Amino acid sequence: MVNDGSGTGEKRTTGKRTGAGGNNDKKAAGVDRRRFLQFAGAGVATASLAGCTGGSQSSDANQQLDGPIKIGVLAPEPGNNPIGASIANSAKLAANQLNEDGGVLGSNVEVVVKDTKEDPATGQRAYQELTVGEQVDLTTGVFTSEVQLNLMSSIAQQQTLHLNTGAASPETTRRVAENYDRFKYYFRTGPVNSHYLGQNMVDFATANFESMGWDSVAILAEDYTWTEPISEALNGSLGDAGIDVPVNQRYAGGTENFSPIYDEVASADVDAAYVVMAHTGTSAVVQWAKQQRPFGFGGIHVPMQLPSYYGSVNGACRYAVTQNSATPTSEITDKTVPYANAYQEANGKYPVYTGYITFDAVKMYAQAVQQAGSKEAGQVIPKLENMSFTGTTTANLEFYGQDHQYPHDVKYGKEYAWPLWLQWREAEGSGSQQVIWPDDLSTTEYQSPPWV
Amino acid sequence: MVDVLTTTINAVTISALYALVAIGFTLIFGVGGVLNLAHGAILTVGAFTAYYATSALGLGIWVGAAAALAVGGLFSAAMYLGMIRWVQDEPILVMILTLVTSIAIEQFFVVTVGTQAKAVPSLLPGQLTFAGLTVQTNQALTFVLSWLLIGGLVVAVNYTRTGKAILATSMSAKGAALVGIESDRMYLYTWLLAGALAGIAGVFLASYRTASYTMGRGPLILSFSIVVLGGIGSIRGSVLGAYLIGFLEVFTVSYVDSSLSGLASLVVLVVVLLVRPEGLFGRELAEA
Repeated sequence: MVNDGSGTGEKRTTGKRTGAGGNNDKKAAGVDRRRFLQFAGAGVATASLAGCTGGSQSSDANQQLDGPIKIGVLAPEPGNNPIGASIANSAKLAANQLNEDGGVLGSNVEVVVKDTKEDPATGQRAYQELTVGEQVDLTTGVFTSEVQLNLMSSIAQQQTLHLNTGAASPETTRRVAENYDRFKYYFRTGPVNSHYLGQNMVDFATANFESMGWDSVAILAEDYTWTEPISEALNGSLGDAGIDVPVNQRYAGGTENFSPIYDEVASADVDAAYVVMAHTGTSAVVQWAKQQRPFGFGGIHVPMQLPSYYGSVNGACRYAVTQNSATPTSEITDKTVPYANAYQEANGKYPVYTGYITFDAVKMYAQAVQQAGSKEAGQVIPKLENMSFTGTTTANLEFYGQDHQYPHDVKYGKEYAWPLWLQWREAEGSGSQQVIWPDDLSTTEYQSPPWV
Repeated sequence: MVDVLTTTINAVTISALYALVAIGFTLIFGVGGVLNLAHGAILTVGAFTAYYATSALGLGIWVGAAAALAVGGLFSAAMYLGMIRWVQDEPILVMILTLVTSIAIEQFFVVTVGTQAKAVPSLLPGQLTFAGLTVQTNQALTFVLSWLLIGGLVVAVNYTRTGKAILATSMSAKGAALVGIESDRMYLYTWLLAGALAGIAGVFLASYRTASYTMGRGPLILSFSIVVLGGIGSIRGSVLGAYLIGFLEVFTVSYVDSSLSGLASLVVLVVVLLVRPEGLFGRELAEA
């Protein structure tokens, strides 16, 4: 759930953002051209809309749109990265389903996919190609927070609706709070932002640690941008919940050798390592299992969210626990399992969380366009703001309002987006993701590794 | 606080692995005068050979390790025959070619395997408990195997005809040629040997940590520090250097800060280059 990239990437992003912001007042040749294209684009769009709707602002659902609805998808390496593939394939799946049902307001939905390569500059170029070149009506996707942050100014300039479905940094919606009119085109359909990811770790701990026998834990968080709000949310909160935290470590990004870290955790005699890991997660869980370290292992572990993970680590993730948005078999809503199966049928494997969220984003957008009777951002935004949508990961997908700390961010809570927690278990020689919390979805109870 | 004995065991086993990597690097430089920037990438080739042998072909890990030894050696030999042989007197060209090869290998694994790390089974699973200390059997095996290979190499270089010929070539290619030693063949043997050692080291590294497309970068950088510290071209120096760097790394991570792991060895590299550029043992295998 999460972003990626190093601190250096973040700095570069910030620099770019400031530069682009400054360009609003001062003149730079590149931006002048872009602004020209943007206005020209807006002009063309307005003209064509006027031609089609006769300037009507009505929300008549029988209204016809002029031309197809074009959705631009930004995904990291959609060819071989499961996170990017889930984004791209789920957008296509949602579009196909909409088209089979007769389209949206009589128009077909088209999907154009571009690769961000998890790089802010590449992401920016791809975004320009989609909005200026392809003239898409909506952009969605984006996994890396650094890429998403770098797009914020462009989204404001292009005034094209953007539904983020992968990057968790709360900094993006904080910008909507700072300047609503400028950034209102930005929404996050999921995952919950990293502040709430941390809050969810505290909620899980409060509800489950006692029964799991985790009275004391060592917090291990990889030192990347996305984990900072999580560390902030965890600091002190676990102690307040009565959990002993003798080790609280943000270890270096790129760490490959976990032996020294695990030696420290073991010598603190804790019941478990409570982890926050994406990039370094595989080395960490493999070494934990191989070395049969005498403590449990769980937390937010992004690689373990992949349904096909068990095979690629020879079962090293057995008994480890991770937070996730959904699993292919968890019936969070009546849309979850049908979506996962349809995805599996179309692509031969199950999606990861970015897939569920992207699928919901496209479907939710289609519903908003239907309600607005128009694909014009100014008319679709209020519909999205007021909508409660039944998605694949929550029955009430809603956004925080304009007066909230994180406007346009997906709402976190039991009634809203409420991540589930799973443990990897072995059944008939292969691995399966068994939900252990929340109780209404759980298929099993937490089991301690036999060597602990 | 972690107890010193546990940390020492970690350091001893990881150093044994570093020694295997550094010896190959130093051999190629000492004998052929070539700086092989693709040496780390051969670890990656070895690791993924074992991964494919075990996961795709369903072979045992020992067969996988043997395959890694062979593929690492052959790959390295092919690199010498196909590229380096033609340009070995042009250090800049050699550096560019080996660097590009290393990047190409990484990209190859990004495309074929993806960016997600893969687990490789341990050669000997389980743990040994010895005088109250617990050691991974796999780590103990690395230690033993590393010393067997190093011992075998030292014996081979000093007591076999081919070994002596390699030694002679490293001392003076011209002199060796005068007594009928074909230097090209000696270079080829050196590359083959270095590649095989890197291949097997890759399997061990992957079996402790994981196999990933970037796994060769760290060991390559460490090899620089080790080889410079020990004296470029010296086998003895590389072994000692590997242990010094290994201990430095593990103790820094355990007792100072985990984020300094890569930095400590680089500081050593710079200091040695400035203060004692010939390293601890100088260049044993050097052209006069």
